[in-house]
Amino acid sequence: MIHLLAFLLYLGAFILWVRFLLSGARGEGPNVASAVVGVAVVVHAAALGSFWARYDELPLAGPGAALSSLAFVGGMALLALLPIRQVARVGVALLPFITVCLGIALLVGIRPSDQALVFQGPGFVLHVTFAFLGYQGLAMASAAGFLYLIQHHELKAKRMGRFFHFIPPLATLDLLGQIGVWVGFVALTLALGFGWAWTVQHPDVISLSDPKVLWAILSWAVFAVVLLLRRGRGRREYRSALASVVGFSLILGSYLVIRLTSSGSGFLP
Amino acid sequence: MDRPKTLPLAVVGVSHRTAPVEVRERMAFAPSEAERALLELRSVAGVEEAVLLSTCNRSEFYLFPALDRRGLAAAEELFRNHAGDLERPTADFLFRRHGEGVVRHLFQVSSGLDSMVTGEAEIQGQVRDAYERATSLQVHPPMAGPVLNRLFQMALSVGGLVRANTAIGEGSASVASVAVELARKIFGSLRGKRVLVMGAGATAELMVEALARDGVRGIFVANRTLERAVPLAEKLHGHALSMDRLVEALPAVDIILSSTAAPHPVLPHSLFREAFPRGRRRPLLAIDIAIPRDIDPRIGDESEVFLYNVDDLRKIVDDHVRVRAGAVPAAERIIQQHSQEFRSWYASLEVVPVIRNMRERAEAHRQAEIARLFRGLAHLEEEDRARVEAFSRRLLNKLLHDPTVRLRKGMVDGAGADLVEAVRFLYGVDAEGRPEEEASSPSSSRKEGEGEAIQSKERSG
Repeated sequence: MIHLLAFLLYLGAFILWVRFLLSGARGEGPNVASAVVGVAVVVHAAALGSFWARYDELPLAGPGAALSSLAFVGGMALLALLPIRQVARVGVALLPFITVCLGIALLVGIRPSDQALVFQGPGFVLHVTFAFLGYQGLAMASAAGFLYLIQHHELKAKRMGRFFHFIPPLATLDLLGQIGVWVGFVALTLALGFGWAWTVQHPDVISLSDPKVLWAILSWAVFAVVLLLRRGRGRREYRSALASVVGFSLILGSYLVIRLTSSGSGFLP
Repeated sequence: MDRPKTLPLAVVGVSHRTAPVEVRERMAFAPSEAERALLELRSVAGVEEAVLLSTCNRSEFYLFPALDRRGLAAAEELFRNHAGDLERPTADFLFRRHGEGVVRHLFQVSSGLDSMVTGEAEIQGQVRDAYERATSLQVHPPMAGPVLNRLFQMALSVGGLVRANTAIGEGSASVASVAVELARKIFGSLRGKRVLVMGAGATAELMVEALARDGVRGIFVANRTLERAVPLAEKLHGHALSMDRLVEALPAVDIILSSTAAPHPVLPHSLFREAFPRGRRRPLLAIDIAIPRDIDPRIGDESEVFLYNVDDLRKIVDDHVRVRAGAVPAAERIIQQHSQEFRSWYASLEVVPVIRNMRERAEAHRQAEIARLFRGLAHLEEEDRARVEAFSRRLLNKLLHDPTVRLRKGMVDGAGADLVEAVRFLYGVDAEGRPEEEASSPSSSRKEGEGEAIQSKERSG
C-alpha cells in the first residue's frame, strides 16, 4: 500500500513536469513537482523500511523488491538534483524510468526472496547496492542524453519553443551525462567485483556462466563503450549523449530478454 | 485645497509614439538637467509635486496638483526651451493626460505596455530612477510628496505584478537578447567564452556588450584591415585582427557575430574546413546579421555549428513579440484594477479631514455636556467624576466607531464622494472638514467656548 502511494506520487510529479512543459511557461518550474518528488522519496523509503522490518530482509532480492530498490536509488538521485533548479528538469526524462520500475515491481509483487539467507550477506548487499547505483548512473546519463538530443535538434531547427525553454543548456546536460556515466561505471565495476566474490562463496546459487552474469558483464562493456566514444574527434558531446541513450536502451532490452527467457534465481541483476 | 471630483494629476511629455528619435533626443534630460527642471517647475504656483521620467524613448513630467493649466504650460515651456528650434512647434510632439489617465499611463509605462518593444524590462528600473531622483532632491516639502510617492510606488509594484502574472516579458524581444539566450542554451554559463566579431555594425556591438555582461571574456574583432578593427577592439576591450587571420582565430572561439558590409561571404565553407579539417569538436554559435550574408550557409550543416542569420533571429523575435502581445489584455486588467485602487486611496485622503472634524465636534459636545452635568452635581467625589467622564468617552467612541469605519470603507468601495457629501451635510462641515460657520468666518482660528456655541446653536435649532 505504501509502495502504491510512492508510485502515485512519482507519477504525479511526472505529470506536473509534463504539464509545465506543455504550458510553455518560462519560469523556474513548478515547486510543487519538486515537493512531490521529495515526498515520494520519503514515502518510498518508508515502504522499503517497512519491507525490511516485516521480512527481516533487505529488499534487494526478488524482482519486485529489487526493482523497487532500483527505483528508490533513482528517486534519491533525482532528489539530489532538485536544488539545482534547471537541472531538476531532467526529472521529466528520469521519472518515467523510476515510475515504470516501481509499477512493474507492484505488478509482479514486492515479496521476500525464497533464498533469503543466501541473499543477505554483506557481499551480496554491496554487490546489489553498487549495481543499482551503476544502473541509475546510466539512467541519469541517458535521461540527460535524451534531453540533449532534443535540445540539439531544437537549436539546429532554429526553434525557440516549449522544448527549447524547458530543457537545460547543452553544456549542463553534457556535464550531467558525464557525471552519470562515470559514477555508474565506477559503481558497476565495484558491483562486479563484489558480485564475483559473492559467486565464489556461493557457487551453488549462481554460476559465472549464468545469463544474468553475462548481462552484468555486457552492461559494464556498454559503459566502457559509452566512455570510449567520448574520446576521438568531432561531435563528442552529441556522440556521448547518443551513446548514453542507446547504451541504456541496450541494457534494458537485453535485461528483458534475459528475464523472459531464463528462470534463474530471482534477484534482479 | 478644494479637492476636485477627478484626480488632479497631469502628465505632459514626448514618447516614441508621438515623436521621432531626432526630436526625442532633443527633449531628453540628463540627470542634472532633470533636477534643475523639477526645481524650476516647482517654482510655478500650484505645482506641489513633480517627477520627470526621461529615457531614450520618452521624457515625461508628472505633476500634482494640476488644478489649472499653469503647471502643464510651465512643463511645455521647459520642453520648448530644452529642445530649442525644431522643424515643427514643440507642442505638436507632446502628449497630455489628466486625472485617472495619468495613473493608467504610468502603470502601462512601468509594465512595459507603452514601450517600443512591448514588455521590455529596462523601463521598470528607469521609472525607479526617476522616482528616486525626485525623492533625493533636498527640498521641502518633498518633490515626490504623498501623492506622487504613492503613485510611483504603486507603478513599480504594478510593473512587477504584470511581469510575474502575465507573459508580457517572456522570450527575448531584440536581436541582441536572442543572441544571448541562444548562447546560454548552448553553453550554459558564458563565463570565459570567446567571441569573434566580424565587421563593426552597431547591432553586433550591442550583442557583444550583452554577451560581455554575461561573462564572455575573450573578444576578437576582425576586419578587412587591421586598422579598421582596432577602434572597436579597443572599445570592447578585445583584440584586433585582420580577416586573413581568421583560420587561426576560429578554433579558439565559441561564438561568432558577423555584420560586415562585404558583398560576398567573408567566411566561406572552404575556410571553415581549413580551420576544422576533421570537423568542429565543440559547439559553435554563429550569428550572421549581415545582408548579404557573411557566413556560408553550408557551415550551418556542420554538426556542432548552430548558425542563425538575420531572418532566423527576426522570426524568433516576432514569435516572442506575438506571445507578449497576447498577454496585453491580462496586463490591462491588472492595471485597471490597480488604477481603481489608487483612485480609492486618493479618495480616502478626502475623508480624513471630515472624520477628524466629525470627531472634534462630537468631543466638543461631550465636553460641554460633561461640564454642564458637573455644574449640577457639585457634590460628586473626584473618583465618581472620573467614572462619569470615562463613561462619556466610551459612549462617544462607540457611537462614532461604526460611522468612521463605514465612511473609510465607503471611500475604498468607490462610494466616497456621495458619503463625504452626506457627512458634510449632516455635520455641517466644508470641503476641508471645517465647520461651515468656521469656514465662513473671517478668522479660521478655533474660538474659545466653541463647545458652548455649538450647544446653544443646537438648542436653538
